[in-house]
Amino acid sequence: MLKHLFLIILLLWFVLLPSAGARVYLDINAPTFVQIPIVLPKWKSLEKTPPALTDKVYEILANDLRLSGFFRVINYQNLSPPLQRREGIPSTLFLHEWMSAGGEILLTGETSLEVDGLQFRLKFHLFDLVEQKHLIGKEYEGNLQTLRNMVHRMADEVVLQLTGEKGVGNTKIAYVLVQGGSKEIFMADFDGANIKQVTQNQSINLSPAWSSDGKKIAFTSYLKRNPDLYLIDLDGKNLRRFSFYPGLNTSPSWSPDGKQIALMMGKEGKSDIYLLDAEGGNPKKLTKGHGNEASPRWSPDGRWIAFVSDRSGSPQIYVMAQDGSQTRRLTYEGNYNTDPSWSPKGNRIAFCGRMGGRYEIFTIGTDGSGLQKLTSNSGNNETPCWSPDGRYITFSSTRTGVPKIFVMNANGFNQRTLIPSKGGGESSPAWSKRLE
Amino acid sequence: MVTKSLSIIILILCLGLMLMGCPKKTMMKEMPSAKTAEELAAERERAARAEAERSLKEKELREKEEAAKRDFEQRLVAKKTPGIEGEVFESALLKDIHFDFDKYDIRLGNAEILRANAAVLTKHPNVKIQIEGHCDERGTAEYNLALGERRANSTKNYLLSLGISAVRISTISYGKERPSDPGHNEEAWAKNRRSHFIILSK
Repeated sequence: MLKHLFLIILLLWFVLLPSAGARVYLDINAPTFVQIPIVLPKWKSLEKTPPALTDKVYEILANDLRLSGFFRVINYQNLSPPLQRREGIPSTLFLHEWMSAGGEILLTGETSLEVDGLQFRLKFHLFDLVEQKHLIGKEYEGNLQTLRNMVHRMADEVVLQLTGEKGVGNTKIAYVLVQGGSKEIFMADFDGANIKQVTQNQSINLSPAWSSDGKKIAFTSYLKRNPDLYLIDLDGKNLRRFSFYPGLNTSPSWSPDGKQIALMMGKEGKSDIYLLDAEGGNPKKLTKGHGNEASPRWSPDGRWIAFVSDRSGSPQIYVMAQDGSQTRRLTYEGNYNTDPSWSPKGNRIAFCGRMGGRYEIFTIGTDGSGLQKLTSNSGNNETPCWSPDGRYITFSSTRTGVPKIFVMNANGFNQRTLIPSKGGGESSPAWSKRLE
Repeated sequence: MVTKSLSIIILILCLGLMLMGCPKKTMMKEMPSAKTAEELAAERERAARAEAERSLKEKELREKEEAAKRDFEQRLVAKKTPGIEGEVFESALLKDIHFDFDKYDIRLGNAEILRANAAVLTKHPNVKIQIEGHCDERGTAEYNLALGERRANSTKNYLLSLGISAVRISTISYGKERPSDPGHNEEAWAKNRRSHFIILSK
């Protein structure tokens, strides 16, 4: 109790002061921005905390900041010898000593492991080196199993302080991985760590999508020799067949209120967009006409559904009201535009378009204006999906050979593989909401 | 008295003579009815022979059909796919048809193949099939699932137009998930854009 009180006071003390004139260091909505140089001195291990543990925290934190795309991280190894030796949290009185480090922001911290080895504590303090002032300090407590999670929360807080919006450290990306002749659903943390296999049935498992509460993954599987829709818990348990009409049952998208699911169904001999209720019942057909309709994606305000239709003769992105009325075509450039994904802020739609024989990731305003190409000359890029804060897009790319999951900033900068160490065969990434 | 006796004897003799001649005459008279019975027997025999021949022919035909069915079934290749329920069969007699890129209409040249496939189905009326719609690897997975759905169904509709009953045909789309040729070139792509026929029950 005392610890919590201390934390709250600490928070109030440090948050209230700078928040009067909260400075956003980085306007992430600008089309281009310069990364903030941030100095990360060596962390201090208090009492008998194993230094390896502190190094681990430092490594996860530095990586999170690098992956965010907002920072140029200056590691302690790259500092001058006297600064290299400095550990832990400095007093504001000595901030001027860090001026030579070449950063605008200083992020310092310390770890302590309780004597019983179960409770683990992290503390960080953030300083503005340009204005020579303290920005925020915060403490986190947990057990060793939740260490990554604690560091991610800390990185999220740093991102919030410097960009005005929390980071996505505690999110996951579900994806499909080829395993021999089968395709299984996997998931990993946003930093590519903590890879977990969700399905293990040797079937073809496709199109993973997160349920609106973030607790389940929906996907299509051929287990019963029909592409049926299944739900599964994140730990791979509690598999249940959810929609299994003859023909396609695939590409689910939950309405933001969680009450309805839009999906592709082949009940009438061709793929159409349908709505199901939250229990998988009462199919209601939304699309009319003779086209092939695919990939419905709900708008964040729950009023619209973006989808693919080839009613014009080639696949294009369309938008309709959630009752199937007011359909309008969104894309007119090129003759193959598929895989829409609605940005969480609601103003843009990412999609996969073919240009010059390659498949590239684009974004476009929901009014059809402001088309932007985010990938170029780098293999085939497919299945874009936004992060829950709308600042990143994940997608699959064959630029390094076999398809791999990539992540980039929403303006196309900072493109990186999700899991650099693994061989590939990954596709269909789906980004979770923030999982606290 | 003697004369009277003699004349009676003569009369008897004459009668006897008459009677002697008579059997031949009577037989002649009865000949037609005797001949009908014979003919009936012959006809019955002929009919029986024809019946035997017919049943033999039928039996031969049945055996031939059974042999053909056996032969058809023997030539079926059983196929089990891990992670997909049930054992199915493939027949070399049911040939794939192929599609143009991003298209699902039946090509002119494929009508011939579908007629031949329909003939096989007519010959084996118990066979139930599933038509698999497949795509090449280009383009996105979900749109290809929609395209595969359409390819399977346009193939099904063509077979329905040839008089095959709808209850014998189901469809499934595999999109680009099950290429028959793993290559990444035009030749492989052309092979992979296909409707493939499998037999669910014989």
